[in-house]
Amino acid sequence: MLGILLAKDLRRARRNPLPWLINLAIPLAITALIGLTFGGGGAALGRIRLGVVDQDDTPLTRMLRGMSQQGRAGNHLEPLFLDRAAAERELLANKLAAVLVIPTNFTRGYLSGSQRVSLELIKNPAQSVHPTVLEELLEVVVTALSALARNFGSEFPAWQAVFEGQADYRQVAALIERAGEKLQAARAYVNPPLVTYSKQPPEPVSWPATARESPARPAKPGRADGFNLFGYLLAGMTGMFLLFIAGNSLNDLHREVRLHTFERYHTLRHSLLPFVAGKVALATVLLLAGSAVLLGGGALVFRIPWQHPLALAALSVGYAGFAASFMAVLGALTGDERVGNTVNTLVAMALAVAGGCAFPPQQLPALLRQHISPLLPTYWFAETVRRLEYGGGDAPWVQVTLQLAILSLALLAVAALLFRRRFRKGLRA
Amino acid sequence: MDDVTFEVRAGELYGLLGPNGAGKTTTLSLITGLLKPDAGKVLVAGTPLSDNPQQAKRLMGFVPQDLAIYEDLTGRENLEFWGRLAGLSAGQARSRAGELLEALGLSDRAQDTVRTYSGGMKRRINLGCALLHRPQLLLLDEPTVGIDPQARWNILGFIRELRAGGTAILYTTHYLEEAETLCDRIGILDHGRLLAEGSLKQLQERLGGDRVFVVEADLKDAAVEKWHGLGARFRLIQKSARQLVVAAAGDMDPAECLKALLALPVRVENITLKRPNLNDVFLQLTGRELRE
Repeated sequence: MLGILLAKDLRRARRNPLPWLINLAIPLAITALIGLTFGGGGAALGRIRLGVVDQDDTPLTRMLRGMSQQGRAGNHLEPLFLDRAAAERELLANKLAAVLVIPTNFTRGYLSGSQRVSLELIKNPAQSVHPTVLEELLEVVVTALSALARNFGSEFPAWQAVFEGQADYRQVAALIERAGEKLQAARAYVNPPLVTYSKQPPEPVSWPATARESPARPAKPGRADGFNLFGYLLAGMTGMFLLFIAGNSLNDLHREVRLHTFERYHTLRHSLLPFVAGKVALATVLLLAGSAVLLGGGALVFRIPWQHPLALAALSVGYAGFAASFMAVLGALTGDERVGNTVNTLVAMALAVAGGCAFPPQQLPALLRQHISPLLPTYWFAETVRRLEYGGGDAPWVQVTLQLAILSLALLAVAALLFRRRFRKGLRA
Repeated sequence: MDDVTFEVRAGELYGLLGPNGAGKTTTLSLITGLLKPDAGKVLVAGTPLSDNPQQAKRLMGFVPQDLAIYEDLTGRENLEFWGRLAGLSAGQARSRAGELLEALGLSDRAQDTVRTYSGGMKRRINLGCALLHRPQLLLLDEPTVGIDPQARWNILGFIRELRAGGTAILYTTHYLEEAETLCDRIGILDHGRLLAEGSLKQLQERLGGDRVFVVEADLKDAAVEKWHGLGARFRLIQKSARQLVVAAAGDMDPAECLKALLALPVRVENITLKRPNLNDVFLQLTGRELRE
């Protein structure tokens, strides 16, 4: 029976493919949009290409240039030292995130304290995240330079002489010694810091009793290095957009009511379950295609390294089934296509927001985060994917997939019952 | 629906006649199991529908008033799909669809999508979709609404053939001519009540045989019920400001009837003698025209 119904719907889809193509184009467009928002491609944030125009060219500025290539900064920054014209050309060609200009006499002005000094940052307007990161970094550098000026201001004339090559080694050694003593004296105030901030690890998903009783294993070391902001957001976005696509797809139930074909089916078959199941199955296939476009497209186009493709595929199947059968229930509760569209959109949005799909769940109000979100399948899906990929790969994805599958079947039965009740009350197009 | 009882026999075409909103479609919905009655029961081949709805549905074919077909599918695909749902195998559905396309005169358009069909062709496919499994009881809900006379003629001819083949047919309509020319027995339905049923002749006899007189006169202030001789000889069917419709009560000669009517205490402008039709029956039963 299911095969007959599916064959019929596939024939209809073949003759009128536009709604299907639109449903698949939406996730494609969303993936592209999110990808472009986060810098246009590359794994994680990638190395930020920064143009540096050093018009001052002093030992101090050379030291600053050197710092940008050393240690962890070197992992994230790719400075290119250019003259101003070349830097502007590269910026216009969208090959740089920003250009840092160190103006002439910057060192002299800074060390003498005779004038207000400034660094110039020219941001690339065609990019969004990388230039903002550089702006934040530069603020840190400026704050550090200001702190140095306040604490070592009295020594700056001597240091200026050093940078201008007018001091001998003995004077330099004395300067370094005094700087060391000052730092030693300030140590108690600097380390340990009075106020610290450390990022909270993601709250564990509230699994059913069996999973909750066993404490989560600590994340595998080194996993955090694979964090990908786009991938993290895409997991939630996928959860949200699959709900929207499911809503669009399951609106076909309203169309069958309007065409009186659902009613005709019921005059031939007593059970409505196969009819609703056919729609849910077809929508699930469409959602899996959408999921492949979103997650697979993200992996291919934006080089997101999904670490657990099998688990991801299983979760997608479970979630697609949930989304489709949930929308079938909404279809059974709403009167017509127009009302159905509005209700589907609102409910999908609410589920996505409350489930931490639209925003990371840590940003949600405590009441929602602690008591409501863990009950929502959107949260199960998005958080399990995030924990799998960025939480050390330790998430009970099999259990969550089963939960979603069982919930899907229950919702499917509820949808069929609701439609039967509506028929008995005189459901008409 | 209120206390509606009737039966449809094998090889019989039973018409349910009534104005819009009389309860015709609701009656069919109760029979097909779309609606659940709050009292009473539906028997299909002697078995209550509620005992084994799926078994009962296998014996029935339902043609809804609105087209219930897929316009994106071809005529053949529609027929085969509904045939499969009715329990036929793929081969049976294919073969039966071919037969029906031939019988409905749609063989040459079988591979075209229904979207490209005319209104009459869509109606024929709509009818055919209920016949794949050769139902013993066919329920037709106003199957000729909104189509041209030629297409209607074709469909009515096809329905007559089905009746001749032994199918029990329950046919709802608000077209008097269809009920009069097509149906073996007719039930008159209004406001959810079955007011009368029987063959056309039996219903006509309710009015006193095959003669009805229409008297035209100024009757605005006339108290016709008090007119001497009218009530004794005639059955009053309808009275309006300009018209009095009566049927002869006994076996009176038409000339005598005319003489009696001309003797009424009113200036008669015209008298017409006609055969009573279902509208007159409906008029007598409800005081309203069926077409109102």
